[in-house]
Amino acid sequence: MTTSPADRHGIAVAVRGVEKHFTTRGSSLHALSGIDLDVPEGRFVTLFGPSGCGKSTLLRILAGLEASDAGEVELYGQPPAAASARKEIAWIPQTPALLPWRTVRENARLSADVNRTADRLGGSQRVPLDPDELLAALGLEAFADARPDQLSGGMRQRASIARGFAQGAPLMLMDEPFSALDELSREAAQLTLVELWERYRKTVVFVTHSAAEAVLLSDQVVVMTPRPGRIHAVVDIDLPRPRSSRLEETDEFAALVTHVKHTLRSGWQAAE
Amino acid sequence: MSALTTTTPRRADRTSTGRRLGELAAPLVFFVLLALAWQWTAYHNRSLIPPIQAMVTDLSSRPDYYLAQLWETLQSALIGLVIGVSIAFALAVGIVHVRALRTAVMPVALLINVTPIVAISPALIVAFGFTRTPHIIVVAIVVFFPMLINATVGLSSVDPQAMDVFRTLSATKGDVLLRLRLPSSLPFVFAGLRLSASTAMLGAIISEFTGTSKGMGASIMLATSYLNLAQMWSMIFLSALTSLALLGLVAVAERMVIRW
Repeated sequence: MTTSPADRHGIAVAVRGVEKHFTTRGSSLHALSGIDLDVPEGRFVTLFGPSGCGKSTLLRILAGLEASDAGEVELYGQPPAAASARKEIAWIPQTPALLPWRTVRENARLSADVNRTADRLGGSQRVPLDPDELLAALGLEAFADARPDQLSGGMRQRASIARGFAQGAPLMLMDEPFSALDELSREAAQLTLVELWERYRKTVVFVTHSAAEAVLLSDQVVVMTPRPGRIHAVVDIDLPRPRSSRLEETDEFAALVTHVKHTLRSGWQAAE
Repeated sequence: MSALTTTTPRRADRTSTGRRLGELAAPLVFFVLLALAWQWTAYHNRSLIPPIQAMVTDLSSRPDYYLAQLWETLQSALIGLVIGVSIAFALAVGIVHVRALRTAVMPVALLINVTPIVAISPALIVAFGFTRTPHIIVVAIVVFFPMLINATVGLSSVDPQAMDVFRTLSATKGDVLLRLRLPSSLPFVFAGLRLSASTAMLGAIISEFTGTSKGMGASIMLATSYLNLAQMWSMIFLSALTSLALLGLVAVAERMVIRW
């Protein structure tokens, strides 16, 4: 799973020995312990585990939103802050977090409106995409001029995904974006994300606590266990692409979901 | 059948207009009762309040006088409002960016807020003389605090998940202020403006009790010394209506600016 610095070519995200403690009112929580992880370019990798396993914390460290206590994180050979300064990280939060005063199209265009300095930096791997094209791909073309409060929860989350993709960043970090959706909207959103990802093939690190969601979306599932948060195992998902809703009815899919859940359970028991 | 289909909506119409009339009727009836009580009191106790027709007669016999006083007070109120609100907002922007500024400004702002404005007003007349300046300063002081608090809360009330998106984009402080903090603060700013708009008239009138012969406050004081009840109460009602109009203007502006 991990490589020596010499052959990190083609590695989008390299994490070495990351540690993280949270201290609140005197009590300390060991959130992450000895995290090593390589995410190859253009792969869809999911951090999967129960609440408290540190998966969201790890994602925030990758984004530079949180500092680690020890260890190293490199995104395309540079620290997160440098990647962020070039707008090379797209962050898709848990809630859509759209700006209510902007239309859906203006929200999708947000990355173009802030940090203009990044647009003048050379050597960026960022290729901004047309917001309207993305809104159409996500079935939101009729709502491009609507404001977020006129949209359903599922549509808002798709608009948030459009904003992420429009940025054109080579690396996309998604923090349980579908966890607040009802089951039907959630399935629809997962399938549109799969479709979109198969079209643009960005490097994605996705956080979820749903084994089925992890298997449906990913090339690799990183299984994490809590107290302290560790990577227990990495499961390769060798399901064919393009993936569709029909895949979820196959035996291979069911077997992989069971396998991922078993892997988590065995790791959890070993940890306790 | 046709009778049914035509009567049903008509009946629905009648109930909805009836309900609307009912909603209007309650305050109207109350208002008429108040006016009757007012007239009754005015006739039985002539030194207490003037009868309504005395106010109407005074207002209609010299509207220029009333308008001149109103305009005088309104100018102080509006200029003071703009100055006080602008300073408060600028300080709020500073406070959300520099922690030291918050701890420095807030105690002083609180102190100004608890100082009785009627105590400051004469001191300002001594300092600035018989000009408009002391009245503007009084207004600026009374509108300052509600706006400072509301703007500070508003500028800090940013969706943390939206903030995460801005941070991963390495958005500049200017980006965050202009595209996230300012729009997020607008509902709070308008709430502050509603408070400030009504206190602006209050501040202007109170400050005109001393150090000037012009304005609604001075006119009320003058009426007091001549026991001119009609003028006094006309001014009181006029000032209330002006405050109401200012509040209405703020509400209209709010509806035009906040469209989400």
